[in-house]
Amino acid sequence: MKEFLSLKVMDRLRNVFETLGCDYPVMRRIVQVKLTMDRRRVPTILQGTSRKKSRPESEDKNGFVPSLLLYAFMGLLTVPFVLMNQNYMFQMSVTFGILMFLIMSSMVADFSSVLLDVRDRVIISTKPVNRRTMSFARTIHIMIYLFLLTGSLAGAPLLAALFAHGIVFFLSFLLEIILMDIFILVVTALLYLLILNFFDGERLKDIINYVQIALSIAITVGYQMIGRSFYVIRLHIVFHTAWWQAAVPPFWFGSTFEWIMRGHASPLLILFSTLALTVPIVSFAAYIRLMPAFERKLQKLSSSSARGGMKKHAWSRAMSRIICTSNEERAFFAFASVMMAREREFKLKVYPSLGFAMVFPFIFIFNSAWANGLKDLASSRWYLSIYLSALMIPSVVMMLKYSGQYKAAWVYRTAPVQSIAAIFKGTIKAFLARLFLPIYLVESVVFVAIFGIRVIPDLVVACLSMLLYAVICLQFTRTSLPFSEPFQVVQQSQRYVVLLLLLLIGVFAAIHFVFTLIPFGVYIYMFLLVLLSGAVWGAGVGFRNEKLLYDPTSQLYPVRRGE
Amino acid sequence: MNSDNDAVISIRDLKMLYGDKLVLKGINLDVRRGQIIGYIGPNGAGKSTTIKAMLGLATGYMGEIRIFGRDISDGDVEYKRRIGYVPETAEIYDALTAREYLTFIGRLYGMEEVQADRKAQALMRTFDLAAVYDARLASYSKGMRQRALLISSLLHNPDILFLDEPLSGLDANSVMVVKDILVRLAAQGKTIFYSSHIMDVVEKVSNRIILLDSGQIVADGSFEELQERLNEKSLEEIFNQITGFHEHKDIAEKFVSIVQEV
Repeated sequence: MKEFLSLKVMDRLRNVFETLGCDYPVMRRIVQVKLTMDRRRVPTILQGTSRKKSRPESEDKNGFVPSLLLYAFMGLLTVPFVLMNQNYMFQMSVTFGILMFLIMSSMVADFSSVLLDVRDRVIISTKPVNRRTMSFARTIHIMIYLFLLTGSLAGAPLLAALFAHGIVFFLSFLLEIILMDIFILVVTALLYLLILNFFDGERLKDIINYVQIALSIAITVGYQMIGRSFYVIRLHIVFHTAWWQAAVPPFWFGSTFEWIMRGHASPLLILFSTLALTVPIVSFAAYIRLMPAFERKLQKLSSSSARGGMKKHAWSRAMSRIICTSNEERAFFAFASVMMAREREFKLKVYPSLGFAMVFPFIFIFNSAWANGLKDLASSRWYLSIYLSALMIPSVVMMLKYSGQYKAAWVYRTAPVQSIAAIFKGTIKAFLARLFLPIYLVESVVFVAIFGIRVIPDLVVACLSMLLYAVICLQFTRTSLPFSEPFQVVQQSQRYVVLLLLLLIGVFAAIHFVFTLIPFGVYIYMFLLVLLSGAVWGAGVGFRNEKLLYDPTSQLYPVRRGE
Repeated sequence: MNSDNDAVISIRDLKMLYGDKLVLKGINLDVRRGQIIGYIGPNGAGKSTTIKAMLGLATGYMGEIRIFGRDISDGDVEYKRRIGYVPETAEIYDALTAREYLTFIGRLYGMEEVQADRKAQALMRTFDLAAVYDARLASYSKGMRQRALLISSLLHNPDILFLDEPLSGLDANSVMVVKDILVRLAAQGKTIFYSSHIMDVVEKVSNRIILLDSGQIVADGSFEELQERLNEKSLEEIFNQITGFHEHKDIAEKFVSIVQEV
């Protein structure tokens, strides 16, 4: 096992730990094991990046260090705000806002599994390890994680602060960052405690899952904004301090700079600064007192209370009765709907792209409105940007074959499934009806609001094209059954297929554009699309790969290592 | 200390509240060296709770638990050094390799790193797992994992063993090996607390059977004694009789009739 630098640093404090009544060698070993396990997890921030098929035996490099580099890069986002020499209250509050969001969501996304590890109780507490040693190990572990995370995020802004505003500014920034970390740690733990108080562990895991999704969206958006953020240096900001800001913690931390560095001793600023100092300390004291309650609540994690949730199924069943043609298809429709809604790993991979699909068309419209003015927008053909929302289709359809529980796919083989087409049709229909159409509907409403009711036929045409497009995308994923492969094998070649398919949606948009030039062209195109879709769905084109069900060499039975 | 000098475990009037429900309603128990205790009972009878209380995992019990003659409620964890434990849920840090995991566990029990490593490797070899000693536990099959867990519980040569379903996932040959290991360990004076739902194994392996039902001990004695007292042939029948479960035929009949409905 690796000797970590942080452990060597800790060794220098050995005497301190021992006088505090901690069994140092044991604690060191626990922390070492925990750090080793951290290195072997894949952090959320790197989820989207390409990886070769994972080799579990390879060195402890599953992305912890790369993720720190990425965080350091994200830290650049705050540098312009530190550098702009205007209203300290504003610029530092924004800086702390960004830092707090990134640290807290990363903590929830990646460190929850550590904070909430129920195995500790069974594995470590049954051994002769005293309580104090255990809680020291836990605390040290969290501190190391927070230190590395904060260090890489705040490194750049701290340096910027040192060079632009001098040593006093730098030191107060550093101190406030430490206070902020304490605050984040306590808030996260209290949040878990609160959630566990009302819900069971499954619900908590769902909530963590949504934070992970939010983080991966934020990382992608932040990535795009780093370059643009430097424009703020030139802006002139007018900012007023107000009472309501007391409810928003980043303002507490920002106020200190305005007070101490600029000498604006307004009562509000002094109040906020006091909050920045006292709230973390007081809440930390509360946290220590609540720690035992937290440990007890953790036991709820492994239990799951039955949820009464039959109402949704009625709606789903009614829908499947209309759009599915056979009972087999209906079964897979229901199955895929539930899988897409519940499987956390799937959601983590797919939902961010749903979010982007929703936002992209509007980004384009706003860009054009910015350039050409709002007046021309309503009469323009910018509504065609709705085709951008189809960008999610290929990536999601390609993802349909993956699952965290791919091994359970043996049921496809042991059950007497008549037609493989039913499997694919049911699954793709579930995706279209449960994920795609709701988003498309929301977008359409906004589009009608912007462009007027004249675009309704165009929106119908675009929708029909996308449905057709989805079937085309599906042809490229026929190699394996839905939910039957592990996420680790997401192949590189697949990315090129997705790129190719993205070009295709451009073709669809172009055809649509050409038809808009002809009088009543839209209705002609709509008629053609209806015919074409009917033919494609009816014939079940390309669904004849019946071999998948019987081929024993396919991926359904992955060979277990070491046997 | 009482007259029972060789009682390694002695429990007096152990009660436990979970919420407002009394899950243990006054357990009294004395266990001597060398006993293999089959600790059985229906789901939710309180078996795991008793074991957790003895391991110091469950706080807030009433009554007294003495292990090796010492009351464990004072927070001193030293007694755990002489206990080995295989949890029912087979919890394990599966991101680690067997070498990393086992030396870590050895270290927690106060063994030297090198010694724990050497011993773990030798034990893995006897279980035919030498080739995967440096493979991650996540890649292990259920049976392999169970054997690794068993090694982790015995690495430090404990005097008391708490085994919760230790045979799950093992093939018939491994089961025979493990059963023989248990008998030999007991012959050396170790105490084994064996909890399982598989009555045939419990019947064969244990020399004392304790049956728990809704938080109380309802039977305690050797298999032969219980056989005689209740006039039943197998432990399964004894179990059914004592826990007052006679509807198995009705339930099975109902089940099958529903299966046939289609």
